[in-house]
Amino acid sequence: MPVFKTPFNGYSVKFSPFYEDRLAVATSQNFGILGNGRLHVLSLSPNPSQPFTEIAAYDTADGIYDVSWSESHDSLLVAAVADGSVKLYDTALPPTSNPIRSLREHTREVHSADYNPLRRDSFLTSSWDDTVKLWTLDRPSSIRTFKEHSYCVYSAVWNPRHADVFASASGDCTLRVWDVREPSSTMVFPPHEFEVLTCDWNKYDDCIIATASVDKSIKVWDVRSFRVPIAVMNGHGYAVRKVRFSPHVRNLLVSCSYDMTVCVWDFMVEDALVSRYDHHTEFAVGVDMSVLVEGLMASTGWDELVYVWQHGTDPRAL
Amino acid sequence: MSTNSPPQNQGAESAQPAANVDQQGATEEPVKQSSTPSVFVNSEPMREEQVQNAVKFLSHPRVKGSPVMYRRSFLEKKGLTKEEIDEAFRRVPDSAPTVQTGGVTQDGQVKSSSNIQQQAQPQALQPGLPASTGVNTSSATLSRSRFHWSHALIAIGVLAASGAGTAIVVKNSILPRLKSWIRKVVVEDDEELKKVDRKPTLVEEAAQAAKSAAAAAADVAKASQDMLISKEEERKHFVEVVSLLDKQVQEMKSMTNALRRMEGQDLRITQTNTKQLIVNGNGKADYDLHSVRSTSPPVSYEPPGSLHPKSYMEIMNMVQRGEKPSNTRPWEVGQVQNSSTQVLHAQGSGEYLNSKVQDSTQSNGDGDDALPWWQKKNARIREIDNENEYNGNGSTYGAASYQPPPQRTWVPPQPPPIAMAEAAEAIRRPKAAAQKDQTSDTQSVGNSSDVSDEATRIPRRSESEVVVEGGSISSIPSSVEIQEDQELKQE
Repeated sequence: MPVFKTPFNGYSVKFSPFYEDRLAVATSQNFGILGNGRLHVLSLSPNPSQPFTEIAAYDTADGIYDVSWSESHDSLLVAAVADGSVKLYDTALPPTSNPIRSLREHTREVHSADYNPLRRDSFLTSSWDDTVKLWTLDRPSSIRTFKEHSYCVYSAVWNPRHADVFASASGDCTLRVWDVREPSSTMVFPPHEFEVLTCDWNKYDDCIIATASVDKSIKVWDVRSFRVPIAVMNGHGYAVRKVRFSPHVRNLLVSCSYDMTVCVWDFMVEDALVSRYDHHTEFAVGVDMSVLVEGLMASTGWDELVYVWQHGTDPRAL
Repeated sequence: MSTNSPPQNQGAESAQPAANVDQQGATEEPVKQSSTPSVFVNSEPMREEQVQNAVKFLSHPRVKGSPVMYRRSFLEKKGLTKEEIDEAFRRVPDSAPTVQTGGVTQDGQVKSSSNIQQQAQPQALQPGLPASTGVNTSSATLSRSRFHWSHALIAIGVLAASGAGTAIVVKNSILPRLKSWIRKVVVEDDEELKKVDRKPTLVEEAAQAAKSAAAAAADVAKASQDMLISKEEERKHFVEVVSLLDKQVQEMKSMTNALRRMEGQDLRITQTNTKQLIVNGNGKADYDLHSVRSTSPPVSYEPPGSLHPKSYMEIMNMVQRGEKPSNTRPWEVGQVQNSSTQVLHAQGSGEYLNSKVQDSTQSNGDGDDALPWWQKKNARIREIDNENEYNGNGSTYGAASYQPPPQRTWVPPQPPPIAMAEAAEAIRRPKAAAQKDQTSDTQSVGNSSDVSDEATRIPRRSESEVVVEGGSISSIPSSVEIQEDQELKQE
């Protein structure tokens, strides 16, 4: 299975929604503490001697914490940069004209970026300055700023079935559900006693959301009855950094954690852990499941490696 | 307030969340109408107990000193819904307004505490809140206190005590020190007077010593002059001897050069029709040895009993056995061995790599292209060895083409067959002639000119091979074979 070595520490990996063999990797130098960043756009090739070809690589002055593919243009990317800027890249343009736009509104590091899969014209960025901002591609400034959290917002994710609804996970231990047509958040509840690092909506059930936290657990909630979780999944040894629901299997979700493992869970089953991959030798901080290829998943970590493998196989296998 | 009422209405309506979900499933987007309420709102009624707890919390004096944002955040963390929080804020009269999307209100007194809180973790908010507010209240009371007479009395007492203390200290320690210092100074004056008497006698003695030193210096100068004269005479003699020796050396040099040329030509002709491996190794080795021989003459004359230069085959045998030929430098012997082993490496691994590319069994590891080629190759070879051990698949990787791990010492090949017997004999004749008369003949010159073309060709070819090998190894391995074919064609 192919492995790509990035020069900097990996932070996030995302499959392209247009090409099944393309993915983007966001990396930062020195574990994202200080230094530059680089955005890689990779293409998987069937040639086993050269499994990855780098289509493009963009350098930034500060680390890149997250990347998101555009749903409207197959060559557009949104990068969340640690210096508070949001940068737009176009792989179809020559590297000298990239980034095509640099949006500077956040006052602190931008931690996540997510593109609206239904409306296809807008994207969200969440930042450590406690705000979530909504942008569109054509405007140079944000459309809206959502400021209700009292600590860093680690993740803001669109609902895959409702075009105006999104959820945000924050370090103030709460999860907020927003509707962009509303002036303020529509729901808020504390899924964990500690910082909530990530959240993701279920692709098949529009009201089910998974959250993961510093308390090493992953909880799956139904937002209609948010007092008690549907499922609690323990098993990680350290904080869980990212959670993603599978686009192909209703009950499957994948998580990556600071215990250097990537785990796949089935939350409807009593013994939820389906598989565990410990191929990383450092914090595993980014994971994604491909929408176009069933079972294909990618992960990256601070060990500067990007693995792409099929669920059920060994990521380090040849 | 307008935002609060619709959720409350929907909370009353949506007693059956399942029905709403069905409606949501039918419609793509939830519309803000009473008929199809949004699912993403809290549909629970307000919990009175929670609201009362929140009211108690907000009424606490310490909480009243904290920013509103943190009060809301605390209640949210406790699991209260927005409606409950808003209701609690409404019930506590002097708390700040309810829904905020803007900044945070701060009191003037507690600015420092809020800054500290902003930097701290949110889990520490709850214990931090009461602690910081407590500290601030105490400091506030301090600043508010007035200037009482008690403060003045205390200040006077402190001053008096400090004055008395310094007086005692001065009396006890400083005055005695002063006295002892004065005594020291007096004693030193007495000593200085005594020293002045001794000085004139010292001066006289110094003058006498200087005179005797001058006399000694004059004697030394005379002696050194005599030495110089004698040295010059010796140098003259030495120069004469050296010139005589140089003449002899030049004569011997010319003789040995002629001898070696003869021997070298003899060896090169016999190597024209050999295999590539051997040519490469021999060509290189021969080139090195030739260079060895050309540089050795000045060396060979230093030791009195130097050996006669050995033949090519004898030296290769010595190298194989690990001995150092007497005329070579240590690094040149190493070069010979390394060049031959490297050549084996390149060709063996080049053929191996061709078969490897077809097998899709191994990834590039971490795909680090910055690794130099030889490290990559060795890694593959090692891994193949491992795989051979573990899998027993040695036969599938074209083991026939893959050579066994290279030996450390280079085994010299069999001497190649003589292609042109006539040329060999022709060469042998001038060698015999040279051995009879040490001066060069016209015959030998003529033969050497015929042979010199091939002689020059071989070093040139070896040089080109060096370049080619360097280039081929860094490029695609299959080109090594192509270039080998070309070299074969050249011959």
